[in-house]
Amino acid sequence: MLKDFTKGIIKENPVFIIVLGLCPALGVSTKVVNSIGMGAGVIFVLLGSNIFVSLLKDFIPEKIRIPSYIVIIASFVTVVEMVMEAFIPALYDSLGVFVPLIVVNCIILGRAEAFANKNTVKSSILDALGMGIGFTLALMLISLVREVFGLGTITLFPIGNFSGVIEIPGISNAPVRVFGLAAGALLVMGFLKALFNWVGELRRVK
Amino acid sequence: MKEIFKTGAKLAVICAVAAISLGIVNAVTDPIIIAARAARLNAALQKLSLGFEIGELVAVDDGSAVTGYYPLTDAGNIIAYIIKVIGAGYADDLNLLSAISIKGKILSAVLMENSETPGLGKEAENASYMEMFTGKGDGSVIPFRKSQLEHDDADSITGASITFIGIGKALNKASEFAINLGGM
Repeated sequence: MLKDFTKGIIKENPVFIIVLGLCPALGVSTKVVNSIGMGAGVIFVLLGSNIFVSLLKDFIPEKIRIPSYIVIIASFVTVVEMVMEAFIPALYDSLGVFVPLIVVNCIILGRAEAFANKNTVKSSILDALGMGIGFTLALMLISLVREVFGLGTITLFPIGNFSGVIEIPGISNAPVRVFGLAAGALLVMGFLKALFNWVGELRRVK
Repeated sequence: MKEIFKTGAKLAVICAVAAISLGIVNAVTDPIIIAARAARLNAALQKLSLGFEIGELVAVDDGSAVTGYYPLTDAGNIIAYIIKVIGAGYADDLNLLSAISIKGKILSAVLMENSETPGLGKEAENASYMEMFTGKGDGSVIPFRKSQLEHDDADSITGASITFIGIGKALNKASEFAINLGGM
Protein backbone atom coordinates (compact mmCIF):
# COMPACT_ATOMS: atom_id res chain seq x y z
CA MET A 1 0.00 0.00 0.00
CA LEU A 2 2.76 2.42 0.95
CA LYS A 3 4.40 1.58 -2.36
CA ASP A 4 1.54 3.35 -4.18
CA PHE A 5 2.69 6.51 -2.47
CA THR A 6 6.47 6.23 -2.61
CA LYS A 7 6.83 5.03 -6.21
CA GLY A 8 5.89 8.47 -7.61
CA ILE A 9 8.66 10.24 -5.77
CA ILE A 10 11.75 8.62 -7.30
CA LYS A 11 11.21 5.19 -8.87
CA GLU A 12 8.40 6.32 -11.19
CA ASN A 13 8.96 10.06 -10.93
CA PRO A 14 6.51 11.63 -13.41
CA VAL A 15 9.01 14.15 -14.79
CA PHE A 16 12.34 12.33 -14.77
CA ILE A 17 11.30 8.72 -15.27
CA ILE A 18 7.87 8.66 -16.97
CA VAL A 19 8.65 12.01 -18.69
CA LEU A 20 5.10 13.36 -18.56
CA GLY A 21 3.87 16.92 -18.14
CA LEU A 22 7.04 18.53 -19.44
CA CYS A 23 5.36 21.55 -21.03
CA PRO A 24 4.22 23.13 -17.74
CA ALA A 25 7.26 21.71 -15.92
CA LEU A 26 9.71 23.55 -18.15
CA GLY A 27 7.51 26.61 -18.57
CA VAL A 28 7.03 27.58 -14.94
CA SER A 29 10.35 26.41 -13.56
CA THR A 30 12.02 29.82 -13.80
CA LYS A 31 11.58 30.53 -10.09
CA VAL A 32 11.28 28.21 -7.10
CA VAL A 33 8.11 29.89 -5.89
CA ASN A 34 6.36 29.20 -9.22
CA SER A 35 7.25 25.52 -8.95
CA ILE A 36 5.74 25.29 -5.49
CA GLY A 37 2.54 26.98 -6.67
CA MET A 38 2.27 24.84 -9.79
CA GLY A 39 3.00 21.73 -7.76
CA ALA A 40 0.26 22.58 -5.27
CA GLY A 41 -2.20 23.08 -8.13
CA VAL A 42 -1.25 19.76 -9.73
CA ILE A 43 -1.46 17.86 -6.42
CA PHE A 44 -4.97 19.24 -5.83
CA VAL A 45 -6.23 18.46 -9.34
CA LEU A 46 -4.58 15.04 -9.37
CA LEU A 47 -6.07 14.17 -6.01
CA GLY A 48 -9.55 15.30 -7.07
CA SER A 49 -9.48 13.57 -10.43
CA ASN A 50 -8.02 10.33 -9.06
CA ILE A 51 -10.66 10.15 -6.33
CA PHE A 52 -13.54 10.79 -8.71
CA VAL A 53 -12.26 8.55 -11.50
CA SER A 54 -11.76 5.76 -8.97
CA LEU A 55 -15.22 6.28 -7.45
CA LEU A 56 -16.92 6.40 -10.83
CA LYS A 57 -14.94 3.58 -12.49
CA ASP A 58 -18.00 1.29 -12.56
CA PHE A 59 -20.37 4.08 -13.61
CA ILE A 60 -18.37 5.42 -16.57
CA PRO A 61 -18.75 3.23 -19.67
CA GLU A 62 -15.53 2.17 -21.39
CA LYS A 63 -16.40 4.02 -24.63
CA ILE A 64 -16.70 7.47 -23.09
CA ARG A 65 -14.05 7.21 -20.40
CA ILE A 66 -11.68 9.76 -21.96
CA PRO A 67 -14.30 12.54 -22.36
CA SER A 68 -15.56 11.81 -18.84
CA TYR A 69 -12.05 12.07 -17.38
CA ILE A 70 -11.47 15.32 -19.24
CA VAL A 71 -14.70 16.81 -17.86
CA ILE A 72 -13.71 15.81 -14.32
CA ILE A 73 -10.16 17.17 -14.70
CA ALA A 74 -11.27 20.40 -16.38
CA SER A 75 -13.76 21.06 -13.58
CA PHE A 76 -11.08 20.68 -10.91
CA VAL A 77 -8.70 22.93 -12.82
CA THR A 78 -11.35 25.62 -13.16
CA VAL A 79 -12.02 25.38 -9.43
CA VAL A 80 -8.28 25.78 -8.74
CA GLU A 81 -8.12 28.76 -11.09
CA MET A 82 -11.08 30.56 -9.51
CA VAL A 83 -10.01 29.86 -5.93
CA MET A 84 -6.42 30.91 -6.66
CA GLU A 85 -7.48 34.16 -8.30
CA ALA A 86 -9.79 34.97 -5.39
CA PHE A 87 -7.54 34.06 -2.48
CA ILE A 88 -3.90 34.04 -3.69
CA PRO A 89 -3.92 36.63 -6.53
CA ALA A 90 -0.12 37.05 -6.46
CA LEU A 91 0.45 33.38 -7.22
CA TYR A 92 -2.35 33.43 -9.81
CA ASP A 93 -0.64 36.32 -11.58
CA SER A 94 2.75 34.69 -11.66
CA LEU A 95 1.49 31.31 -12.89
CA GLY A 96 -0.49 33.00 -15.66
CA VAL A 97 -1.33 30.76 -18.56
CA PHE A 98 -0.02 27.63 -16.91
CA VAL A 99 -2.95 27.07 -14.56
CA PRO A 100 -5.46 26.26 -17.34
CA LEU A 101 -2.73 24.12 -18.88
CA ILE A 102 -3.02 21.67 -15.97
CA VAL A 103 -6.04 20.32 -17.90
CA VAL A 104 -3.81 18.96 -20.62
CA ASN A 105 -1.02 17.93 -18.24
CA CYS A 106 -0.48 14.31 -19.28
CA ILE A 107 0.29 13.23 -15.71
CA ILE A 108 -3.27 13.77 -14.62
CA LEU A 109 -4.95 11.98 -17.51
CA GLY A 110 -2.17 9.40 -17.40
CA ARG A 111 -2.81 8.53 -13.75
CA ALA A 112 -6.59 8.41 -14.33
CA GLU A 113 -6.11 6.00 -17.22
CA ALA A 114 -3.23 3.94 -15.89
CA PHE A 115 -4.05 3.77 -12.20
CA ALA A 116 -7.25 5.29 -10.80
CA ASN A 117 -9.68 3.43 -13.07
CA LYS A 118 -8.28 0.07 -11.98
CA ASN A 119 -7.65 0.64 -8.30
CA THR A 120 -9.47 1.45 -5.07
CA VAL A 121 -10.08 4.99 -3.88
CA LYS A 122 -7.52 4.58 -1.10
CA SER A 123 -4.73 3.48 -3.43
CA SER A 124 -5.68 6.19 -5.89
CA ILE A 125 -5.36 8.86 -3.21
CA LEU A 126 -1.88 7.57 -2.30
CA ASP A 127 -0.93 7.39 -5.96
CA ALA A 128 -2.11 10.98 -6.53
CA LEU A 129 -0.19 12.27 -3.51
CA GLY A 130 2.97 10.39 -4.46
CA MET A 131 2.88 11.45 -8.11
CA GLY A 132 1.93 15.03 -7.19
CA ILE A 133 4.74 15.33 -4.67
CA GLY A 134 7.16 13.70 -7.11
CA PHE A 135 6.16 16.24 -9.77
CA THR A 136 6.52 19.13 -7.32
CA LEU A 137 9.96 17.98 -6.13
CA ALA A 138 11.13 17.52 -9.72
CA LEU A 139 9.93 21.03 -10.60
CA MET A 140 11.60 22.47 -7.53
CA LEU A 141 14.87 20.80 -8.44
CA ILE A 142 14.76 22.12 -12.02
CA SER A 143 13.77 25.61 -10.92
CA LEU A 144 16.39 25.70 -8.16
CA VAL A 145 19.15 25.02 -10.67
CA ARG A 146 17.66 27.44 -13.22
CA GLU A 147 17.05 30.25 -10.75
CA VAL A 148 20.40 29.99 -8.97
CA PHE A 149 22.38 30.08 -12.21
CA GLY A 150 19.99 32.14 -14.35
CA LEU A 151 19.11 34.91 -11.90
CA GLY A 152 21.43 34.36 -8.95
CA THR A 153 18.49 34.28 -6.55
CA ILE A 154 16.18 31.84 -4.78
CA THR A 155 12.63 33.16 -4.61
CA LEU A 156 10.33 31.78 -1.91
CA PHE A 157 7.21 33.20 -0.27
CA PRO A 158 7.60 36.54 1.53
CA ILE A 159 7.05 36.09 5.27
CA GLY A 160 7.09 39.10 7.60
CA ASN A 161 10.29 41.09 7.12
CA PHE A 162 11.77 38.46 4.80
CA SER A 163 11.10 39.57 1.22
CA GLY A 164 11.13 36.01 -0.06
CA VAL A 165 14.18 36.53 -2.26
CA ILE A 166 17.57 35.11 -1.30
CA GLU A 167 20.38 36.63 -3.34
CA ILE A 168 23.41 34.51 -4.01
CA PRO A 169 26.54 36.66 -3.90
CA GLY A 170 28.82 36.30 -6.91
CA ILE A 171 26.11 35.10 -9.29
CA SER A 172 23.32 37.63 -8.84
CA ASN A 173 25.25 40.46 -10.51
CA ALA A 174 26.42 38.38 -13.45
CA PRO A 175 23.99 35.50 -13.93
CA VAL A 176 24.10 32.99 -16.79
CA ARG A 177 20.89 34.16 -18.43
CA VAL A 178 20.47 31.19 -20.72
CA PHE A 179 19.39 29.09 -17.73
CA GLY A 180 16.30 31.27 -17.38
CA LEU A 181 15.33 30.86 -21.02
CA ALA A 182 13.71 27.95 -22.83
CA ALA A 183 17.06 26.53 -23.95
CA GLY A 184 18.28 26.47 -20.35
CA ALA A 185 15.12 24.64 -19.28
CA LEU A 186 15.81 21.86 -21.77
CA LEU A 187 19.50 21.69 -20.87
CA VAL A 188 18.83 21.43 -17.14
CA MET A 189 16.10 18.87 -17.76
CA GLY A 190 18.47 16.82 -19.90
CA PHE A 191 21.26 16.79 -17.35
CA LEU A 192 18.93 15.95 -14.48
CA LYS A 193 17.36 13.13 -16.50
CA ALA A 194 20.85 11.78 -17.19
CA LEU A 195 21.59 11.96 -13.46
CA PHE A 196 18.40 10.05 -12.63
CA ASN A 197 19.22 7.41 -15.26
CA TRP A 198 22.71 7.02 -13.82
CA VAL A 199 21.40 6.59 -10.29
CA GLY A 200 18.79 4.11 -11.57
CA GLU A 201 21.52 2.14 -13.33
CA LEU A 202 23.68 2.04 -10.20
CA ARG A 203 20.76 0.62 -8.22
CA ARG A 204 20.11 -2.07 -10.79
CA VAL A 205 23.74 -3.17 -10.78
CA LYS A 206 23.64 -3.54 -7.03
CA MET B 1 -29.51 1.97 -29.86
CA LYS B 2 -30.39 1.68 -26.19
CA GLU B 3 -26.70 1.44 -25.42
CA ILE B 4 -25.97 4.78 -27.13
CA PHE B 5 -28.70 6.55 -25.18
CA LYS B 6 -27.50 5.07 -21.93
CA THR B 7 -23.90 6.12 -22.61
CA GLY B 8 -24.99 9.59 -23.70
CA ALA B 9 -27.15 10.02 -20.62
CA LYS B 10 -24.26 9.08 -18.34
CA LEU B 11 -21.98 11.60 -20.02
CA ALA B 12 -24.72 14.23 -19.70
CA VAL B 13 -25.06 13.49 -15.98
CA ILE B 14 -21.31 13.89 -15.45
CA CYS B 15 -21.30 17.18 -17.34
CA ALA B 16 -24.34 18.49 -15.47
CA VAL B 17 -22.83 17.70 -12.06
CA ALA B 18 -19.56 19.37 -13.12
CA ALA B 19 -21.40 22.46 -14.37
CA ILE B 20 -23.42 22.82 -11.17
CA SER B 21 -20.39 22.52 -8.91
CA LEU B 22 -18.48 25.06 -11.03
CA GLY B 23 -21.43 27.43 -10.80
CA ILE B 24 -21.37 27.21 -7.01
CA VAL B 25 -17.63 27.88 -6.80
CA ASN B 26 -18.00 30.79 -9.21
CA ALA B 27 -20.81 32.32 -7.13
CA VAL B 28 -18.52 32.25 -4.08
CA THR B 29 -15.31 33.51 -5.69
CA ASP B 30 -16.63 36.02 -8.26
CA PRO B 31 -17.41 38.90 -5.86
CA ILE B 32 -13.99 38.48 -4.20
CA ILE B 33 -12.23 38.55 -7.57
CA ILE B 34 -14.09 41.68 -8.71
CA ALA B 35 -13.35 43.48 -5.43
CA ALA B 36 -9.66 42.51 -5.65
CA ARG B 37 -9.41 43.81 -9.22
CA ALA B 38 -11.02 47.12 -8.27
CA ALA B 39 -8.66 47.46 -5.31
CA ARG B 40 -5.66 46.75 -7.52
CA LEU B 41 -6.78 49.37 -10.07
CA ASN B 42 -7.27 51.92 -7.31
CA ALA B 43 -3.87 51.23 -5.78
CA ALA B 44 -2.22 51.55 -9.21
CA LEU B 45 -4.00 54.86 -9.89
CA GLN B 46 -2.98 56.27 -6.52
CA LYS B 47 0.63 55.37 -7.19
CA LEU B 48 0.57 56.86 -10.69
CA SER B 49 -1.13 60.08 -9.62
CA LEU B 50 2.07 61.36 -7.90
CA GLY B 51 -0.14 63.02 -5.31
CA PHE B 52 -2.19 65.07 -7.76
CA GLU B 53 -5.96 64.92 -7.88
CA ILE B 54 -7.39 62.16 -10.10
CA GLY B 55 -10.34 63.17 -12.26
CA GLU B 56 -13.15 61.01 -13.63
CA LEU B 57 -12.36 58.34 -16.23
CA VAL B 58 -13.06 59.53 -19.77
CA ALA B 59 -13.62 56.57 -22.07
CA VAL B 60 -12.09 56.72 -25.56
CA ASP B 61 -13.61 54.60 -28.30
CA ASP B 62 -11.89 55.56 -31.54
CA GLY B 63 -10.48 52.14 -32.37
CA SER B 64 -6.95 53.17 -31.35
CA ALA B 65 -4.82 51.60 -28.64
CA VAL B 66 -5.93 54.18 -26.07
CA THR B 67 -9.12 53.11 -24.31
CA GLY B 68 -9.55 55.89 -21.77
CA TYR B 69 -7.85 58.46 -19.57
CA TYR B 70 -8.06 60.11 -16.15
CA PRO B 71 -6.99 63.78 -16.02
CA LEU B 72 -4.57 64.70 -13.20
CA THR B 73 -5.16 68.18 -11.86
CA ASP B 74 -3.19 70.51 -9.62
CA ALA B 75 -5.30 73.36 -8.23
CA GLY B 76 -7.82 72.98 -11.08
CA ASN B 77 -5.24 72.93 -13.88
CA ILE B 78 -4.69 69.77 -15.88
CA ILE B 79 -1.01 68.91 -15.69
CA ALA B 80 -0.96 65.28 -16.82
CA TYR B 81 -3.11 62.29 -17.72
CA ILE B 82 -3.22 58.69 -16.60
CA ILE B 83 -3.80 56.94 -19.89
CA LYS B 84 -5.21 53.43 -20.30
CA VAL B 85 -3.55 51.89 -23.31
CA ILE B 86 -3.44 48.41 -24.79
CA GLY B 87 -0.29 46.96 -26.30
CA ALA B 88 0.22 43.77 -28.29
CA GLY B 89 1.87 41.18 -26.04
CA TYR B 90 3.36 37.76 -26.70
CA ALA B 91 0.17 36.19 -25.41
CA ASP B 92 -2.94 38.38 -25.54
CA ASP B 93 -3.22 42.11 -24.76
CA LEU B 94 -0.98 44.11 -22.44
CA ASN B 95 -3.14 46.43 -20.35
CA LEU B 96 -1.04 49.43 -19.37
CA LEU B 97 -1.69 52.46 -17.22
CA SER B 98 0.72 55.32 -17.75
CA ALA B 99 0.94 58.79 -16.24
CA ILE B 100 2.00 61.13 -19.05
CA SER B 101 2.53 64.88 -18.88
CA ILE B 102 0.65 67.15 -21.28
CA LYS B 103 3.93 67.53 -23.18
CA GLY B 104 4.05 63.77 -23.72
CA LYS B 105 6.69 62.81 -21.12
CA ILE B 106 6.24 59.39 -19.47
CA LEU B 107 6.10 60.09 -15.72
CA SER B 108 5.45 56.51 -14.69
CA ALA B 109 3.79 53.38 -16.01
CA VAL B 110 2.49 50.07 -14.75
CA LEU B 111 1.51 46.85 -16.49
CA MET B 112 -1.90 45.60 -15.34
CA GLU B 113 -3.70 42.48 -16.64
CA ASN B 114 -1.63 40.42 -19.08
CA SER B 115 -0.93 36.83 -20.04
CA GLU B 116 2.82 37.01 -20.54
CA THR B 117 5.16 34.12 -19.80
CA PRO B 118 6.17 33.87 -16.13
CA GLY B 119 9.85 34.67 -15.68
CA LEU B 120 10.14 36.37 -19.07
CA GLY B 121 7.41 38.78 -20.22
CA LYS B 122 5.87 38.84 -16.74
CA GLU B 123 8.99 40.62 -15.46
CA ALA B 124 7.46 43.75 -17.00
CA GLU B 125 5.12 43.87 -14.00
CA ASN B 126 8.05 44.88 -11.78
CA ALA B 127 8.32 48.58 -11.08
CA SER B 128 12.02 48.56 -12.05
CA TYR B 129 11.18 47.38 -15.57
CA MET B 130 9.36 50.62 -16.37
CA GLU B 131 12.47 52.67 -15.51
CA MET B 132 13.53 52.12 -19.14
CA PHE B 133 10.61 54.31 -20.19
CA THR B 134 10.15 56.86 -17.42
CA GLY B 135 11.41 60.35 -18.18
CA LYS B 136 11.34 59.61 -21.92
CA GLY B 137 9.22 61.48 -24.45
CA ASP B 138 8.93 65.28 -24.80
CA GLY B 139 12.17 65.60 -26.75
CA SER B 140 13.70 62.15 -26.22
CA VAL B 141 12.66 58.87 -27.84
CA ILE B 142 10.46 56.42 -25.95
CA PRO B 143 12.27 53.17 -26.77
CA PHE B 144 10.45 50.44 -28.70
CA ARG B 145 13.45 48.80 -30.35
CA LYS B 146 16.29 46.98 -28.61
CA SER B 147 18.85 49.25 -30.31
CA GLN B 148 17.38 52.25 -28.50
CA LEU B 149 18.23 50.80 -25.08
CA GLU B 150 21.29 50.97 -22.87
CA HIS B 151 23.36 47.78 -22.96
CA ASP B 152 22.22 46.54 -19.53
CA ASP B 153 18.55 47.18 -20.26
CA ALA B 154 18.82 45.42 -23.62
CA ASP B 155 20.27 42.41 -21.79
CA SER B 156 17.49 42.33 -19.26
CA ILE B 157 14.72 42.05 -21.85
CA THR B 158 16.37 39.10 -23.61
CA GLY B 159 13.77 36.39 -24.10
CA ALA B 160 10.92 38.86 -23.88
CA SER B 161 11.52 41.23 -26.78
CA ILE B 162 7.91 41.07 -27.96
CA THR B 163 6.62 42.21 -24.58
CA PHE B 164 9.12 45.09 -24.62
CA ILE B 165 8.20 46.16 -28.16
CA GLY B 166 4.48 45.95 -27.30
CA ILE B 167 4.93 48.16 -24.24
CA GLY B 168 7.23 50.62 -26.06
CA LYS B 169 4.85 51.08 -28.98
CA ALA B 170 1.81 51.42 -26.71
CA LEU B 171 3.56 54.06 -24.60
CA ASN B 172 4.52 55.96 -27.75
CA LYS B 173 0.86 56.02 -28.79
CA ALA B 174 -0.20 57.09 -25.30
CA SER B 175 2.38 59.88 -25.33
CA GLU B 176 1.10 61.20 -28.68
CA PHE B 177 -2.42 60.98 -27.34
CA ALA B 178 -1.51 63.07 -24.31
CA ILE B 179 0.15 65.71 -26.51
CA ASN B 180 -2.98 65.90 -28.68
CA LEU B 181 -5.19 66.31 -25.61
CA GLY B 182 -2.92 69.07 -24.32
CA GLY B 183 -3.89 71.09 -21.28
CA MET B 184 -7.43 71.67 -22.62
